[in-house]
Amino acid sequence: MSPRPRLDHVRRPELLQAAANVIRRRGLVNARVTDVAEEAGTSAPSVLYYFSSKAELLNEALTSAEERFYEELAVRLEGVESALEQLALIVEWGAAGGDYDAALWMELWAQALRDPELAATRAELDGRWRRTIADVVSYGQERGEFGPTDPERFAVLMGSLLDGLSVQIALRDAEVTPARVRELAVTLAERELACTLPEAAGAPG
Amino acid sequence: MSDPAERGARERILAAAVDRIASDGIDDMRIARVATQAGVSTSLVHYHFETREALLAEALEYSYELTGDVRIGEGEGEAADHVERLAGLMDQFLPYPGHLQKDWILYVELWLRAVRHPELRPTGVRLYGRMRDWIADAIAAGIDDGAFKPDADPVRSADRFIALADGYGVRVLIGDLDIDYARREVWAGLVHELGLPAEPPPPLDGVHEHAGSQT
Repeated sequence: MSPRPRLDHVRRPELLQAAANVIRRRGLVNARVTDVAEEAGTSAPSVLYYFSSKAELLNEALTSAEERFYEELAVRLEGVESALEQLALIVEWGAAGGDYDAALWMELWAQALRDPELAATRAELDGRWRRTIADVVSYGQERGEFGPTDPERFAVLMGSLLDGLSVQIALRDAEVTPARVRELAVTLAERELACTLPEAAGAPG
Repeated sequence: MSDPAERGARERILAAAVDRIASDGIDDMRIARVATQAGVSTSLVHYHFETREALLAEALEYSYELTGDVRIGEGEGEAADHVERLAGLMDQFLPYPGHLQKDWILYVELWLRAVRHPELRPTGVRLYGRMRDWIADAIAAGIDDGAFKPDADPVRSADRFIALADGYGVRVLIGDLDIDYARREVWAGLVHELGLPAEPPPPLDGVHEHAGSQT
């Protein structure tokens, strides 16, 4: 038996990326380990060397893209001082982010309806999204940029609105463009927080 | 398809397919199970639908139409005024236990499928267009009668309303939020722009009819 190669940190993300591509194309239920292996240019046994089961691989692939989204967003938010600008950035990302990984994001919602483990993962990711928004609101209230409103309540409101609009963006509804989504979200935020949001610094890229 | 008996079998198969999608998920729908549930042979399923993909596409189209008809047809008629009517429409968009909940599960499956299969998107867009018109018409009628603010924008309000209902609804469906909380918040999203009372009127009888049987 050969010694375990110390390449886990290289291989795992690569395999997760391959698994995400397969899920996007074939759906979670139809994604096979051999598809993931083929996508990554390796064999099924070596895929299963890094992940103890197919379920572990697919579930992690399903969530890792969204985790990356939050991590990248958090980095961007740290570089912005004003809470108004932070919120504008969140709206911008919410309006644009609905597209690229809509397939994975919806797959997770759909599977969470039947799988309690994925439902817990889904709730955890949603909690992160909500905390990101609520933290910006609290921070803005400390700085006197936002009016008094319950940050948690606002976070659910904004998260729900952006999610609902993402569905229509994903359907490529000609009536619901990213610009329209931005406008609908900005209007609601400005009303709820008694503020005027600036133009966002830039979409995810 | 002019023979009524054949049309009957076709509809039964479509209805069974919709049912299987709701319980097993869209990717796990099996022809054999659909046939059993419809009370027909698998060869009859294949006679009406050449491939699994064809059956899926038609079942989704069928259910989109059905969901749209249910959502768009109910909750009207009993309302005393525009505010009550709007609340009644809202309740058709939330996953109350019973048929609305089942429609919702299917709905999420449809979103998922439409994202992966571009050919299904026009059906989805059509359904959203109908819902938007339905809500916007109700809002416009309320503006005309002086029940809602004169400067409200019916289409924008309808868009925000549908998005909030979808966003809160999916969280209720997953067991993350309470439906009464979701109902109040979707309503609150329209309070300022339409000049509505802060709290929605209570749900009409009927929406809750199955509520006792599930948690």
